[in-house]
Amino acid sequence: MPETDATTREIVQTDADAAPPRPHGLLPLRIAMRFLKTAPVQTALIITGIAVGIAVQVFVGSLITSLQADLIDSTVGSGPHLTLLPSGDATAVPTALAGTARSEPLVTAAIPVRTLSAIYASGEDSVPLSVTGGDASGIDAIYHLSGTIVAGTFALGENEILVGQGFADTYGVAPGDTLALLLPNGASGTFTVRGVFDLGQAAANERLAFVDAGSSAAALGMGADQYSAIEIQLSDVFASTAVGARLAAATGAKVVDWQTQNAELLSGLQAQSASSLMIQVFVLIAVALGIASTLAISAVQKTRQIGILKALGMTDAEAGRIFLWQAALLGVGGTAAGIGLGYLLIWGFSFAPVAFSITPKASFVAISAAIGIGVALASSAIPARSTSRLDPIEVIQNG
Amino acid sequence: MAELLVAESLGKTYGTGEAATRALFDVAFTLAEGEFASIVGQSGSGKSTLLNLIGLLDTPTDGRVVLAGTDTTGLGRLGRARLRNDSIGFVFQFHHLLPEFSVWENLTMPALLAHGHLRAEEHARAIELLRLLGLEGLGNKRANAISGGQKQRVAIGRALMNRPRLILADEPTGNLDTGNSAAVYALFREISASLGTAFLIVTHDRSIAEQTDRILEVRDGTLVQDVRNAYGAPTG
Repeated sequence: MPETDATTREIVQTDADAAPPRPHGLLPLRIAMRFLKTAPVQTALIITGIAVGIAVQVFVGSLITSLQADLIDSTVGSGPHLTLLPSGDATAVPTALAGTARSEPLVTAAIPVRTLSAIYASGEDSVPLSVTGGDASGIDAIYHLSGTIVAGTFALGENEILVGQGFADTYGVAPGDTLALLLPNGASGTFTVRGVFDLGQAAANERLAFVDAGSSAAALGMGADQYSAIEIQLSDVFASTAVGARLAAATGAKVVDWQTQNAELLSGLQAQSASSLMIQVFVLIAVALGIASTLAISAVQKTRQIGILKALGMTDAEAGRIFLWQAALLGVGGTAAGIGLGYLLIWGFSFAPVAFSITPKASFVAISAAIGIGVALASSAIPARSTSRLDPIEVIQNG
Repeated sequence: MAELLVAESLGKTYGTGEAATRALFDVAFTLAEGEFASIVGQSGSGKSTLLNLIGLLDTPTDGRVVLAGTDTTGLGRLGRARLRNDSIGFVFQFHHLLPEFSVWENLTMPALLAHGHLRAEEHARAIELLRLLGLEGLGNKRANAISGGQKQRVAIGRALMNRPRLILADEPTGNLDTGNSAAVYALFREISASLGTAFLIVTHDRSIAEQTDRILEVRDGTLVQDVRNAYGAPTG
């Protein structure tokens, strides 16, 4: 009955599994696009889901970053990040320390100053002032006063003083007026108000004042080359501890670090960063679960089609790639829409009555985009694997 | 004629131990190039299992299948997928078209799976198939927007697209009326005669089997009859 005759046949055992891949890498992409196109509601929903997630990520991340940058700028943007003080019993720092500080790569300004406390008496009231004396251009490098003058001009001649807006408003002081201050040497000094500044902080506007170098030297009884401190600004405010430690080791001077003086603020900022990160992580987890579940549903819905394609000769890897492409398309589409939506939210925020604006960083947005696409691709792993393992016979037999 | 298919002591057992069920055992036969044959048997006789093994959709637990000179025993899923695409065309009882794709796309899918795009000769062949199958003007229609008979004709065209040497048809007219059924078998005959394509048609309907040149009968998982059939032999 059987008509086999093995001895006369020419049978070739080919190694088709090791053959080079066929050049049709884009067919899975075409099929993926068609699957998405023929389920428009499902596609729109998942893209919206990813977009909302990425928009929240971009908006919240940029908001927190900008808010913190604004807070830090308000706190130490107009002031020294490091202060070098005389060590031991010395009352003055060598001016050469300013040169040493400037040799540090992150130091943007290092100037010698004289700091003193003075008292202003007005009627029965008296108010302490923290006075910094020095060269006008040097003071401007640290405190950025020239851009904050609201009355008068930014200049410091002999016996001239710059006062804050809070102080000026409280005591009715205006440019051209004279102020009598009680100085540390017990003498009374008279200064002419040259300008009024607004540093954006009530405490600074109430208590800070700036005088010229000569007046401060006289008030402290110092020589022309004697200074009470070196004030330093850095390009990276958070490098202050490391730079301060290096300068302390190199000079022996006592170092005051803004981070040590604002430990509570920093702790608050860190807590804010952590909570922001938590929000972003959970949003991304929600996005990942959304994509994974939708793709899993799609994989089940397309089981029949995948089985047919496999019966026609589609390989397991190609079948898996269909869902990888779907995830990539959804990820790219959703992320692009999400970034657009995020920028829209940031633009909308610019109309909010707050004192700062959100400035999204390109690097953060790029990272958010990469995370969005990466999460989408990772979410396709399970449906891609189950699809690649699907046996066409399961579909063919079940009709 | 040269041998196209060799089924050698084929057996298939589902499950293991006490739950093991032997669906097919010791089935052996050869099919020549261009042969027009059928497999008959009652429902549950093992004929579809045999077709799945020959069609490389399933692997035998015993024996081997040699197709177009290739011993398929050592082939993995990838190798079997490629050989299916190159050498076998399937026509199923349920047409199994892809509803998301047009008639043209369904028809040309095996060629796209083979090398990603349509070559000029494949494009011409697809147009010729549309004409041959009476599907002219339907190329752009979605696969689920045509009638049952038209769907089955698209499925036949798809099976022929890569010029396979073997067409496996599992109850191909099970869902068609008498008129459409007769037209499909006439078409099979015409294709076999003109292109030299071998056909192996699975059916439970002996009257259909009798229109083929050879009848293989499967009963309780074994091949009980293998006869040449003068009734369906081409005349002249």
